[in-house]
Amino acid sequence: MTAALAFAAALAAAPGPPSPPLPPSPAASTTPVISAALTDTNVQVKSDFRGARIVLYGAVFDAAARPSDVVILVRGPEQPVRLTRKQRVAGLWLNSRPVVFRGAPGFYRAASNRPLGDIANFGVLRRLGAGVDHLTINAPEEQRTETRYGVRDVVVSRLGSDYFVWRRAVVRLKEKAGLYHEDDEGVRFVDRGLFRAEIALPTGAPTGVYRADILLFQNGVAVSRRIRTLTVEKVGLERALYVWAHERPWSYGLAAMAFAMLAGWAASAAFRRD
Amino acid sequence: MDIYLPIAEVAVNAPLIVALGALVGFISGMFGIGGGFLMTPMLVFLGIPAPVAVSSMANHVAASSMSSVIAYSRRRAVDLRMGAVLAAGGVAGAFLGVELFRWLRLLGQADLVVALSYLLFLTVIGGLMLIESLGTILRRRRGETQPPRRDRRPVWLYGLPLKMRFPRSRLYISVIPPVLLGAFVGILSAIMGVGGGFILVPAMIYVLRMPAGMVVGTSLLQIIITAGLTGVLQAGRNQTVDIVLATLLLLGGIVGAQFGARASSRFRAEELRAILALIVLMVGLRMGLGLFLTPEEPFVLLSGANG
Repeated sequence: MTAALAFAAALAAAPGPPSPPLPPSPAASTTPVISAALTDTNVQVKSDFRGARIVLYGAVFDAAARPSDVVILVRGPEQPVRLTRKQRVAGLWLNSRPVVFRGAPGFYRAASNRPLGDIANFGVLRRLGAGVDHLTINAPEEQRTETRYGVRDVVVSRLGSDYFVWRRAVVRLKEKAGLYHEDDEGVRFVDRGLFRAEIALPTGAPTGVYRADILLFQNGVAVSRRIRTLTVEKVGLERALYVWAHERPWSYGLAAMAFAMLAGWAASAAFRRD
Repeated sequence: MDIYLPIAEVAVNAPLIVALGALVGFISGMFGIGGGFLMTPMLVFLGIPAPVAVSSMANHVAASSMSSVIAYSRRRAVDLRMGAVLAAGGVAGAFLGVELFRWLRLLGQADLVVALSYLLFLTVIGGLMLIESLGTILRRRRGETQPPRRDRRPVWLYGLPLKMRFPRSRLYISVIPPVLLGAFVGILSAIMGVGGGFILVPAMIYVLRMPAGMVVGTSLLQIIITAGLTGVLQAGRNQTVDIVLATLLLLGGIVGAQFGARASSRFRAEELRAILALIVLMVGLRMGLGLFLTPEEPFVLLSGANG
């Protein structure tokens, strides 16, 4: 840390030709700054894919050494969620009309060095979407605006007071599948200002671009933010089959069926007993 | 050894899937059925999304029926004309079934219809088969003679127009019943992920009164055509056919079917039917049970949020 500070100071003091203004050096300014890096920015899904663990390292640069909290929010590509509720009708458990929730990330992980509720207040967490309770998931198809008690444009959900039960169920089911997780001990300070966190991707993690927001909190306010991206993609045969099946579904279907029938014919030829 | 399925997007234990294919293949070779009714629920139980299980089964059913229909046609036990008429109905049924399944998925009622179909068809057919085969076994134990098979065909079969000759089966009947039967089985195969042999075979024996030797080979021909079309339609419309999954099942299924066919010669026909009836009945009851038990988790995530 001291070496880094000295290096930064030397950089700032170094004489030379006039150059475009450099971004403020972390140590030179009085505002605290956070920086972070992922050990792996590309996760490849192959036939042996069984999930992945990605390590995130970072450092807090604060000359004044004020008490700092670190919150890491990892969001996968958005995936709408269709949810149904089992209802008892005439002795049978039947599915209700499905409800579509928009804005739900396909993967979500919130990690912090202590419980989110102790780091910042409700409003701050809500604005940042920090924590599974503050995700901006809603069901726009179920909503309408109406005038209530003389107030115009009040958003009303057709689900009524059940709305929160439905919303909690989305989070609960996603948590069960290992796709959503909130860990209030997920960020560990390994040395002064230096922290480490692990992001575990389950097998069912969606493919696409993931965004990690690394936030530095001081006194309940987010004072610095870094954004890192991570790509999860299928490679090799898995990718070839997936792309084929989704972009040219008819030729894929024909080829798959031809292959299956050929295999059946070959089998009967191989086991012919006469 | 886990393997990641590219379309289902889940990892499965490859030897377990091959073993499942072998087990179902054994049963299918033993009883001369496709075994889809057994395989699809097991795949769903193993965590494969139901639409993928149902669609990929079409490929598996087509492949395994292909391997056995060749054996039957060598023995001249396939009525090609009857097979073509059944398949004409089956093609219409497959188109209808795939669209119906798509619509049910959008409504979120696919699970209910699948569970109800299993409960209804499997318990009825399993129950009837069990009664019939137990009756035969009991009569043989008591040394009574079997009642003669009633060969009188229902009158309405002859009252219908569009009659056609089926020389191989020695039939001269209207094409309407076989076309309707084929269509019905085509719809079921798209919805339940089965070949439909368990409905087709009894219907061909008891309703169309086809000679018993022709029934299995001819039903296999209809199943290949219907399942072949269903598989292509499911891939084209719903993108739910996982060829890796179908191949794994096939690897086990081929070997299992050969051993099953050999094992079947050690049992009497009515004993085989009684065992099969019990299996069918159990699967049907197990699938229907979910409709009556209070679920632990009242909410269910549905796949395919984009329709």
